[in-house]
Amino acid sequence: MTITESGLIGKSVQRTDVMDKVTGCAVFVDDIQFGPKLLHSRLVRSPYPHALIKKIDTSKAEALPGVRAVVTGKDLTARLGLYLIDRPIFAYDRVRVYGEPVAGVVATSEDIAVEAVKLVEVEYEVLPAIYDPVESAQPDAPLIHPDLGSYSVVNFIFPEPGTNISEHFKIRKGDAESAFAECAAVAEGRFRLPPIEHVPIETHTSVALCEKTGQVTLWASSQSPFAMRDMIAQGLDIPHNKLRVIAPLVGGGFGGKAGVTMEACAVVLAQAVEGHPVKLRLTREEEFVGTSTRQSLISDIKVGCDKDGNLQAMELTYYFGGGAYNDYGVNIARAAGYSCTGPYDVPNVKADSLCVYTNTPVGSAMRGFGMPEIHWGLEQIMDHLAEEVGMDPVLFRRINCVRTDDEIVSGMKMTPIDLEACIDKAAKAIQWEKKEEPTGPNKKRGKGIAIMWKAPAMPPNPGSAAVVRFNEDATLQVEVGGQEIGQGAFTVAAQIAADVLGIPYENVTVSTPLDTKYSPYEWQTVASRLTWSMGNAVKAAAEDARCQILETVADAWDEDIEDLTIKDGVVISFKSEREQPLDKMVIYGMPNDDFEGWKGGPVVGRGHFMPTYVTNLDPETGQGTRAVVHYTVGAQAVDLEVDLETGQLEVLNIASVYDVGRAINPDLIMTQIEGGAVHGMSSAYEAMKFNEDGVVINPSFVDYRIATIADIPRKIHGDYVETPIDDGPWGARGVGEHVMVQTAPAIANALYDAVGIRFSDLPLSADKIYMALEEKELTQKD
Amino acid sequence: MLARPGLPDFEYLKAESPQEVFNLLKDKGPDLKLMMGGTDLFVQMRDRDSGPGTLLDIKGLPGMQEIEFGKTVGLTLGAAVTLNQISAHKDIRKYYPVLCQAADTVGNYQLRNRATLGGNICNASPSADMAPALLIYDAELILESPGGERQLPVAEFWVGPGKIALKEDEYLKAIHFPPPPEGAVGQYYKLGRSKMGDLAIVGVGMLGYPDPETPAGLRFKIGINSTAPTPYRVPAVEDYLAQHSLSDDVLSQAAEDAMDISAPIEDIRATALYQKKMVRNLTKKGLKEIWGSLK
Amino acid sequence: MENHAITLIVNGQEEALLVPSNMTLLHALRDGLGLTGTKNGCEAGECGACTVLVDGEPVNSCLVLAVELDGREITTIEGLSSNGKLTPLQQAFADLNAVQCGYCTPGMLMAGTALLRRNPNPTVEDIQKALVGNLCRCTGYQRIIDAIMEASRNGGTR
Repeated sequence: MTITESGLIGKSVQRTDVMDKVTGCAVFVDDIQFGPKLLHSRLVRSPYPHALIKKIDTSKAEALPGVRAVVTGKDLTARLGLYLIDRPIFAYDRVRVYGEPVAGVVATSEDIAVEAVKLVEVEYEVLPAIYDPVESAQPDAPLIHPDLGSYSVVNFIFPEPGTNISEHFKIRKGDAESAFAECAAVAEGRFRLPPIEHVPIETHTSVALCEKTGQVTLWASSQSPFAMRDMIAQGLDIPHNKLRVIAPLVGGGFGGKAGVTMEACAVVLAQAVEGHPVKLRLTREEEFVGTSTRQSLISDIKVGCDKDGNLQAMELTYYFGGGAYNDYGVNIARAAGYSCTGPYDVPNVKADSLCVYTNTPVGSAMRGFGMPEIHWGLEQIMDHLAEEVGMDPVLFRRINCVRTDDEIVSGMKMTPIDLEACIDKAAKAIQWEKKEEPTGPNKKRGKGIAIMWKAPAMPPNPGSAAVVRFNEDATLQVEVGGQEIGQGAFTVAAQIAADVLGIPYENVTVSTPLDTKYSPYEWQTVASRLTWSMGNAVKAAAEDARCQILETVADAWDEDIEDLTIKDGVVISFKSEREQPLDKMVIYGMPNDDFEGWKGGPVVGRGHFMPTYVTNLDPETGQGTRAVVHYTVGAQAVDLEVDLETGQLEVLNIASVYDVGRAINPDLIMTQIEGGAVHGMSSAYEAMKFNEDGVVINPSFVDYRIATIADIPRKIHGDYVETPIDDGPWGARGVGEHVMVQTAPAIANALYDAVGIRFSDLPLSADKIYMALEEKELTQKD
Repeated sequence: MLARPGLPDFEYLKAESPQEVFNLLKDKGPDLKLMMGGTDLFVQMRDRDSGPGTLLDIKGLPGMQEIEFGKTVGLTLGAAVTLNQISAHKDIRKYYPVLCQAADTVGNYQLRNRATLGGNICNASPSADMAPALLIYDAELILESPGGERQLPVAEFWVGPGKIALKEDEYLKAIHFPPPPEGAVGQYYKLGRSKMGDLAIVGVGMLGYPDPETPAGLRFKIGINSTAPTPYRVPAVEDYLAQHSLSDDVLSQAAEDAMDISAPIEDIRATALYQKKMVRNLTKKGLKEIWGSLK
Repeated sequence: MENHAITLIVNGQEEALLVPSNMTLLHALRDGLGLTGTKNGCEAGECGACTVLVDGEPVNSCLVLAVELDGREITTIEGLSSNGKLTPLQQAFADLNAVQCGYCTPGMLMAGTALLRRNPNPTVEDIQKALVGNLCRCTGYQRIIDAIMEASRNGGTR
């Protein structure tokens, strides 16, 4: 069958959700009204980063009027996890991080719950805590999970029981040691990143209801209602059909609302007060302390090239500070392992990527999933090496960057991309060759470039399903399980369905909220995978529906299906020039030509997509046929200046260019590029801070500052190239995370260009920069 | 441990007359707290999960929101005048521009619609943005008690972080500023972690004006926040500048001296050393600019 | 402690409410009146998601007690458009994709509306000064600036 082109693919149609969002009609979890039966809950959190729980006395809390239940982990030893089942719902034998939930209270008001929390008495025996992943990876480090060997784990993650190492991924490709001996230039360094927070403006909120029948309903701000249902159902031994997760719009995710955060606590609390919905809403301070973070990383990088600048060898060790529980984070170390070189063609690589338990907040998915962390060091060391061989950083990257069909570090053949085009466009937009004057006295200005790659990091076979369902008037419901977290996923789904079915975009509605009771399956809204994977499923579902329609019409008219198409909601025949509006026909079918009997019936299209071609990697060498489905690549260039009197940076311009395969909705891509550039810039200044007792000391917007409207670059130049892939809808792939991956190293490279100082540790705070400037006697100008 | 959701329980009362305030202050003692905009107070009550049993709202008392200005008598601001009212007032912008500049740097616009000058003073934060301007314009606080009014220079009001010289039976009624020196040029130099909206890592308010009595022909007033237990003036530096014929070297020396006087502590916003150096750099930048525009 | 009987004029409608002293305007609107368009983002006056207009001026509704506002006029996001007609600012937010997750959007619109009323022709810097207390993690803010400029050209808030 030919695919009709309604011209919707590649068109910047209006977002499906925008009218709700500009009128205050958009519903988030906290906006749902539950009536007078609603109860409120709060969590009792550990004041220590590492301690044994000796005793919990809940009697005083239970005695407080208005308290309906107090729940601890005493009788609840189930663990949760996506890849490694290591996380209790309430800590019961030991706490492993400051702020870990040890109990929960349910009360008739939030005020009473606050008071009840103070009355729960917990006796701890404090244990030595360990925060640094390199120290924690040593054989003699105190163990954070002594039972690591007994935890269930998927077959592609390799914990090392008896240590704090929850995943160890290895690459052994070629002979790095010998290759280094032949190199004309070698650069090496150690780079560090602190944990940072996702900072969605909507804090984590959930409401759980357990009926007397055992039916459980959970309303959650979630990027992954199905994964959430799966983990909680398994952990609490609830049949999947008895646990219903309803996920309304998400007020910012960035990975922080993937998997399970505290939603299982809400379910357990609701089980204690059957028949009452129980709300668990995190405060802003808890959002900083009690949710997952981007993992910290210490990376040791050594890289060498020949005299012409061709990369020859790399030796890499990544120590990810995984935090207290690594149920999700283990796969970050794995993803960082099989993509360890960054977007470069390097023949000889020895790499070890470790996820290490630390007594810090749980490290988990965050926009980029390991890639911002490794590119921070990689993209600086490439500049360093380029300088060693006297080569321009842009040229150095053009020579060495990965190309279509290259055999990359994991042994896989590179899927179609054009990174050189991205580099060229970014360099041109920033006027790479032009030396700019500072905008004022006592300032220095510089430019930097950084490139990136990222593959969707997932199990080998995450699936997407979609259903399209016509209404009587030929308007369409699109049902998906992928979530709208601001990126425009629903819009792209509607666009794809409308295009395939030849109906006006305005006639398509995406069925919301997501509800595991009705919505088709989607693994998770993560990994920049929806346009690609869910897009494929929606396309297949729409094609299925289209096929049903055309078969009915062809049959009724006694024509060949190949001669029919659908345009503007009307089936037309090229041959007979007959027309049949979809209105009514898509539900009631069509009468036969002689009006004796009918054909067709309500049209419901179904489609699914699951990658079936990803292979395992050898555990000793990390080599395999196809480590991942594909890669997205891109380049960013930064033009900035530094104030020599204060050490403050100002990013003046960012050029940001990615290869998106095919732009389904160009303006939505641009909004990702712009938002990502600012998120990436902000990430260069962000850090969670801890005191010596492991307590988070900046859990507020006052002291954990994110970019404001006054901090943005004067200009963000966004652009994309289109090199289609084989397995995406019209060749499209994701770009949601990529757009912030290399912003921080691009800034660091520009800063080096400006003042000749390398900063190997994030954040790039003004006081750190100023002190370095003073040391280099750059501040004494008058 | 962490801030609570919502505000802790308390009783809200709105004062209609000064007498009512005095009566309640006497009856309730330390269990009563006076409030105006509440922007600092509510945040503290959430953070500490505790607060007074009673909040007495005094912003509606007669005169509390009034702005009076005369070229010869100076400026009097009711304690509950908001920071946005200060910023928008033409005479204040003309005669006391540093007050407006400082007001514009506090928090954000929405907050400044509620935040009051009196609240900023009584909160007694070492980093109070209004403080340097209050210091350099020689603000006098008008404190009302059953015995009548008394006036106190603002510098004497701040005794330590969060600590003020307000007597148990008093409230801050108004803030008076004498007419500014003839020909004065002023500026508030603030360094935060973001371009706008942050607390001050260091803030320096500065006023320069012609003074034929001095060898310099000029006199400076310098107020600094965030780098000592209370905001402070640096009279030694001001005198040094007045007594020397100005040059780049003299300005540099003055800035060094200001740095030496500052006594910041290591905090989450910046290291103590960086804060000291920023006292020097902002002071120097200010002196150069203001000297330049007075020359 | 005892509740206070107050009247708020919310989006032109008189609303009688019984509020405890510690109830902020944010909670009175959301929990008392079911006006959930106003969002709770930090309860500390830092994120601006709860911005509403009191007598036409923007405030953080998380830092104002409901009891303080007896008799005052409150405008929330629900009161901006009428009869299905968006204001030029709402329209510009929609047209220019100044919205992603949408959680900060009501606060942005209220702060932007107030800005355009007091300054119909703002510069980029005016917009930054007026909206620095409205945090957004998705958009990178440029579209929000563009939308306010666009609305300014198209008649502001009416």
